[in-house]
Amino acid sequence: MNTNGLNKVMENTNAFCKKLLVCRNNFKTWVQLDSSNLSDGQQLSVKYFTVAVILFFAQILFGLLAATQFIYPSFLYEILDFSVNRMIHINAMIIWMLYGFIGCVYWFLEDESGTEIVGLKLGNIAFWVLTSAVTVVVLVYLLVQIGPGKDSSLWFINEGREYIEAPRWADIGIVVVMLIFFYNVVATFSKGKWSGIAGVLTLDLVALAGLYVAGMFYMTNITHEQYWWWWVIHLWVEATWEVLVGVIMAWSLMKLLGVRRKIIQTWLYIEVALMFGSGILGLGHHYFWIGTPEYWLTIGGFFSALEPIPLVAMVVHAVYDSGAHAFKNSNHPALAWIIAQAFGNFFGAGVWGFMHTLPQINMFTHGTQWSASHGHLAFFGAYATINIAFFYLAIQHWRGDVWMGGGSQNAWRWKWALGLLNGGVLGMTIALLIAGYEQSFIERAVEGSTWGGYFTAQNHPSFQSAMNWRLFFGGITFAGFILLVWDLLTIGKGETRKAPEIIES
Amino acid sequence: MIEPVALEDFFITFFSSALIILAGASYALLFAWSKVNPVISIKIAAYISYAVLILSVAELTRAAQFHGYWLIISLVMVIGYFFAPIGIWHLCVKTHTDDLTPTTEEKR
Repeated sequence: MNTNGLNKVMENTNAFCKKLLVCRNNFKTWVQLDSSNLSDGQQLSVKYFTVAVILFFAQILFGLLAATQFIYPSFLYEILDFSVNRMIHINAMIIWMLYGFIGCVYWFLEDESGTEIVGLKLGNIAFWVLTSAVTVVVLVYLLVQIGPGKDSSLWFINEGREYIEAPRWADIGIVVVMLIFFYNVVATFSKGKWSGIAGVLTLDLVALAGLYVAGMFYMTNITHEQYWWWWVIHLWVEATWEVLVGVIMAWSLMKLLGVRRKIIQTWLYIEVALMFGSGILGLGHHYFWIGTPEYWLTIGGFFSALEPIPLVAMVVHAVYDSGAHAFKNSNHPALAWIIAQAFGNFFGAGVWGFMHTLPQINMFTHGTQWSASHGHLAFFGAYATINIAFFYLAIQHWRGDVWMGGGSQNAWRWKWALGLLNGGVLGMTIALLIAGYEQSFIERAVEGSTWGGYFTAQNHPSFQSAMNWRLFFGGITFAGFILLVWDLLTIGKGETRKAPEIIES
Repeated sequence: MIEPVALEDFFITFFSSALIILAGASYALLFAWSKVNPVISIKIAAYISYAVLILSVAELTRAAQFHGYWLIISLVMVIGYFFAPIGIWHLCVKTHTDDLTPTTEEKR
């Protein structure tokens, strides 16, 4: 390339960068968010929230592509295969939720500890490292879709472990970033003050970072391999994430409804005991069919039957509190999403989980669309909802603690976003439930898990019809997401009324 | 050893499992509500929910072919779902009794 050509490229790049800058400034003027309302820690947390929302978009986008391929298998074939779309769909979900959780913790860390974040600079560096790593990993997923499985591909392309496919360099990076996060939390509480919430959070983060290591080494025996792999998948989701959500919920309820610290902490301990008591050995329901000893059938069945107990406790306590206190709140969207969390968690994890968890029936349903049905409602109900609730808490503060209660402007947006997102996910759940029932009945029970049975089930009219409905409701979910983003960017804009200060009841 | 669910019991297994959780939660909800608002009809509704739970557990026990030590799970569900809301209610009362007494942490 000659000098003229190079100059032209430089000029074009400069012009493009200037255009981007103008767009960014125009966007900032339009959203009218005043960052002086945020502390340093909260500014870091909104970075996490921003990436979380972008990844939420990626989750829905790649989910829609994969759902389309169920109906039109040749769609994007050998350009963007189903295996890649599904992988990014699930990976994006795990990572956006983690980003959300980390953002939530950074948001309340200074308030809870009563001091500034100790390693804020380190936290910012970790954010950029993690975000760059996630970008590179996704690009590699898209650019290197097929190839031989070698040691080098484990390190640089794809580890091949379902749900945690990130190559090993990224695995190590994730653990380092989690350790920095852990250091920031512990050092900040140590400098400021400890609380019950702080203690539970710290212990949970040890488990969160530690358990990820269980998914980073290989064993030649597939049973051993799966045994450890489930430690990450199950124990993250049904133990450490649940506790993390409990911590976030505890702090949110104090701020949103004015629930007393002593009560919230006592109940946090009770919930943690119930969740660990049932959730840790509930791991057994993943060990049914991977070649582990038979006693896992009993352990998994027994503890899975106990797993809904924390949810029953939640029902009783909610009724008690509604009778004993007259709670008021000034952030209706956040409270509505917290209520959606209670129902979503109960139905998604409790009802949908127990329906197919006992080994006598699970031997037919394991790994079918039934699992996908349970997964969709449980992940959305238990984790997406609490993150979205927190986004509304954060945006209220970012706007200067403005009124977001009854009579807010354009309240239809958050109500419709809530309805479309929940209706969309519920619709997908029902569609996948029908597909899963048909699949487990025909493919597994009648045809005995043969290839013939697999194709008979996949081509059955009820399965195909269910997949059409799943795509339709995926579209509804996407519409809800667009409305949610629009609402998050505009809610409270121009609102002059201040939110009343919530005091402990 | 487990006996897989028979083909004709497929639906009833899913249905009775779901009903156990729903009836358990309804019983918990109505039990707690009857404590907040002591009306006899709410208490009766709570016990009807619990009766539905027992029937669901019995049906699941039959459909999922629970034998031997597997029957312990049925027993645990029947006893556990009855006493859990009562225990949780007592915890609620105990944890809220000194609502007006701030803790040392709160005083700080």
